[in-house]
Amino acid sequence: MTPLDVAAGLPAAIVLRIGVIAVTLLASRRTHVARHVAFLGSAMASVVTFLMAAQVVRAGSPVHGMLLVHQASGFALTYTVDGLSAWFLVVLAVLAVPIALFSIGYIGHAHLGRRSVFIGVAFNVLLAALEIVFAADTVITFLFAWELVTLVTAALVATDHEIGANRRAAYLYLVMSHVGTGCLVAGFLTLAAASGSVSFSTILSGHVVAGPLRDGLFALFFLGFGVKAGVIPLHVWLPEAHPSAPTNISALMSGVLIKAGIYGMVRVCAFGLGVPRLSWGVFVVAVGGLSAVLGVLYALVQHDLKRLLAYHSIENIGIILLGLGAGMMALTYGHSDVASVGIAASLFHVLNHAVFKGLLFLGAGSVVTATGTRQIEQFGGLLRRMPWTGLFFLIGAMAISGLPPFNGFASEWLTFQAFLFGFRGSAEPPVLFLFPVAGALLALTAALAAACFVKAFGICFLALPRSTAAAEAHESPAVMLVPQAFLAALCVGFGLFPGRVLRVLAGVMAPLPGLQPQADMGRGAFEMASRSSGAGVMNSFDHVVPVVLVAALLGGLAVAAWVTRRAGAARRVPTWGCGGELTARTEYTATAFSKPLMMIFDAVYRPTRQVEALATVSPYFPEEVRYHSEIENTFERYVYGPLVRGIFRMADGMNVLQAGSLHAYLAYVIALVVSLVLFVWWRS
Amino acid sequence: MILALLQSAGLLAAAPLLRTVIKKMKARLQNRQGPPLLQGYSDLSKLLGKESVRSETASWVYVAGPRVYFAAIVAATTLVPVLMAAAPLEAAGGILLLVGTLALGRFALATAALDTGSPFGGMGASRDMTIAALAEPALMLGLFTSALAAGSMNLGVLVRGLLQQGPSLHPSDFLALAGLFIILIAETGRIPVDNPATHLELTMIHEAMVLEYAGPDLALVEWASALKELLYMTLLVDLFMPAGIAIHAAPGAILVALLAWAGKVFVLAIAVTLAESTNAKLRLFRVPELVSISLGLAFLALAIRFL
Repeated sequence: MTPLDVAAGLPAAIVLRIGVIAVTLLASRRTHVARHVAFLGSAMASVVTFLMAAQVVRAGSPVHGMLLVHQASGFALTYTVDGLSAWFLVVLAVLAVPIALFSIGYIGHAHLGRRSVFIGVAFNVLLAALEIVFAADTVITFLFAWELVTLVTAALVATDHEIGANRRAAYLYLVMSHVGTGCLVAGFLTLAAASGSVSFSTILSGHVVAGPLRDGLFALFFLGFGVKAGVIPLHVWLPEAHPSAPTNISALMSGVLIKAGIYGMVRVCAFGLGVPRLSWGVFVVAVGGLSAVLGVLYALVQHDLKRLLAYHSIENIGIILLGLGAGMMALTYGHSDVASVGIAASLFHVLNHAVFKGLLFLGAGSVVTATGTRQIEQFGGLLRRMPWTGLFFLIGAMAISGLPPFNGFASEWLTFQAFLFGFRGSAEPPVLFLFPVAGALLALTAALAAACFVKAFGICFLALPRSTAAAEAHESPAVMLVPQAFLAALCVGFGLFPGRVLRVLAGVMAPLPGLQPQADMGRGAFEMASRSSGAGVMNSFDHVVPVVLVAALLGGLAVAAWVTRRAGAARRVPTWGCGGELTARTEYTATAFSKPLMMIFDAVYRPTRQVEALATVSPYFPEEVRYHSEIENTFERYVYGPLVRGIFRMADGMNVLQAGSLHAYLAYVIALVVSLVLFVWWRS
Repeated sequence: MILALLQSAGLLAAAPLLRTVIKKMKARLQNRQGPPLLQGYSDLSKLLGKESVRSETASWVYVAGPRVYFAAIVAATTLVPVLMAAAPLEAAGGILLLVGTLALGRFALATAALDTGSPFGGMGASRDMTIAALAEPALMLGLFTSALAAGSMNLGVLVRGLLQQGPSLHPSDFLALAGLFIILIAETGRIPVDNPATHLELTMIHEAMVLEYAGPDLALVEWASALKELLYMTLLVDLFMPAGIAIHAAPGAILVALLAWAGKVFVLAIAVTLAESTNAKLRLFRVPELVSISLGLAFLALAIRFL
């Protein structure tokens, strides 16, 4: 493609989407046709943006353009796709294409079918808005697209609006998002007022504000973007909204939408406000560690498959922030090479999380479609009924658990490197010990995630079916399986060849201020920092070549096959049931599986349990035992509860002013005018 | 490549002996004869010769579990220097890859344990993953300390660095060693965390997880578990007492290294035996306290070293 074509890529995709929306609406009588048009068209538009973004990444030079201009008012929506934008656009497209294909099959199913047109149109609008968010280069364009994303997502969360919980989830999402957007508006307006421009290239040049105002702006932006990213304690909307939305939308939300918050943090908090202060990086690492550990701990005790995955999104956002924070601290110290390791870890995990979480959500969509429930305790034995979905889900589970040779391992490995380099590069003892603590938290997170996914995969897909719905489940059609296969292949591919991805990332990061990715960052293997740089901080700690490990693993499998060569075909016998009959009711449940961890971390969960034995004859012969266990929603109860009550009390107090009396209102007006006159008189 | 094969084969051959030696020493402490030294090999060959019996409800995951577990631990043996001051597959990666590979094996076996529908498998898998999750941060912190002291996360480079520095008697080494020794106990399922000798459901963790396995499948699990124990001991030897390891591939040096390695592993085996013989098994919910001691030791080691 010539550069001219590249610049036209984004408008072309947007125009394509508008056309697709129009045709979808025209064909709305025939939902079958509308569905295919909407999602196939969406996939095509995503391919166009992918090609454009890939070209930008490859060429290394940003492209500019204009989406819309109104001559009379001078209003214009302009965009710039630079390396960072292109990276997020690539992540978006890599996930959006398989999700669009999956949606054709998924939305056609049962009760969602009649909402095909709505979902198809909203899906396209959401993707277009996200593309503009990532490409926007003025405050106006950005906030316009940002708000559009929020509104469309809220509508999609409430797709099944007959269910009260979904309406509540959408409402909560809207409220939280608007608090975040409010912070962003305040932050951007402050920057715009200080610089006299609304262009990102000016206001995010890093020289606009100084002093304590910079800290205030960092806090505002972190709050604003943090709500969208779902960092703890701003996460409360996330575990409600993800399960309520149709699963294809959940996949998109978890894979890319929350990354819009990360995009903002990288662009503004890390690079847009000048060299970050040390306290910012420390804060980001602390919030990241908290989100990672609490996210996975809450995920462990969830028995709604989609809610479980939603909490894992919080965990992974935490891991992304750990890398980002380490990078920001290195930026403060001026260690450009170390900073590149941290930022690269963060951006790599953005891609990896999009891929494996998208895969897991699509797998969950297949399972939910086949069984009609989201409760893990109702599944079981699905691997026999749905062999392909099971295989892909297993690959996603291993990737998210950070196991080699899958992609999750590669980015978590890189995050560890950032900590090691950070430890060596910093001097002050309190900050110094942040790195090993963060490393230990990351290790804990990865191990807990592995425990959680042993549970999620094992209870859902293995052993005996726990309900008739699970026993009668059917494998999804190919249109739903092929996208999962594609994402599973990416999990393996990025895991086997992380060096390739890092080489691309080196190009993405090169223009960012204060970064200096090593020329050989992704050379062939995964060799980071193989030679010391001018700062003298970087000496190689380690390297990873996953392909070699795979060879060793295959060797190990060959040995295992060789030593068991005499075994022959296995005899199949029933599982021993301790003398009784083994049924699904005697199987270990998900609740039981996570019980030890729940008891060990009871300070976090504060569980309450009630056991009630119902007996008629004697208390020693209970006929029925009821067990109820619940964990406390710490943040809802102790943070948001008082906050909401405070707001209501304030609103009640203000009710006195708005009494409905015309005389009182006239008195207000007179009082205001008099005080203004007095004010002006006093000033002059 | 050849070196990797030789090293894996050597460790695989030695692993059953280690388990029997510990059993034998334990028996002696209890005034029993104990098994003959070759018992481990006889057990394995008997299990390998049996027919394969599997549950009707189990899927391919159940078959894959022991094989991936075995393969992961065999692959992990190529990442650790044993006789030479270089890991055979040093090019593949260092400590983090080693930890990740062992986690892969654990994940495979724990997942497979849920496949038969027997509650024992689920119970064992749940407890095994719980203890592993608790041990992971302590393990990582301990390794972090050693790696920062030596300046590398790659075991080959690390061992060569330690050899160059000469024997250090820094107090942080002792703390880190004590911390990692607790992790060795926890990860290899020894008393006081788990009891490898019992099949009483209330006390077992690892044994519950593999309860349904029989014949050649069980042989793979047993063999790999023994290998894992030897691997952890070798790792501790590499990190804290690398002296004696061969720097050049001269036959004499290799022989010295072999004797030194065997001697050091034997010392660790005695330590494990004493720990097993003088302690009672902890309640499952007391294990976090033990592991947090390890975490504390590792952190202290780090603090002493770098403050």
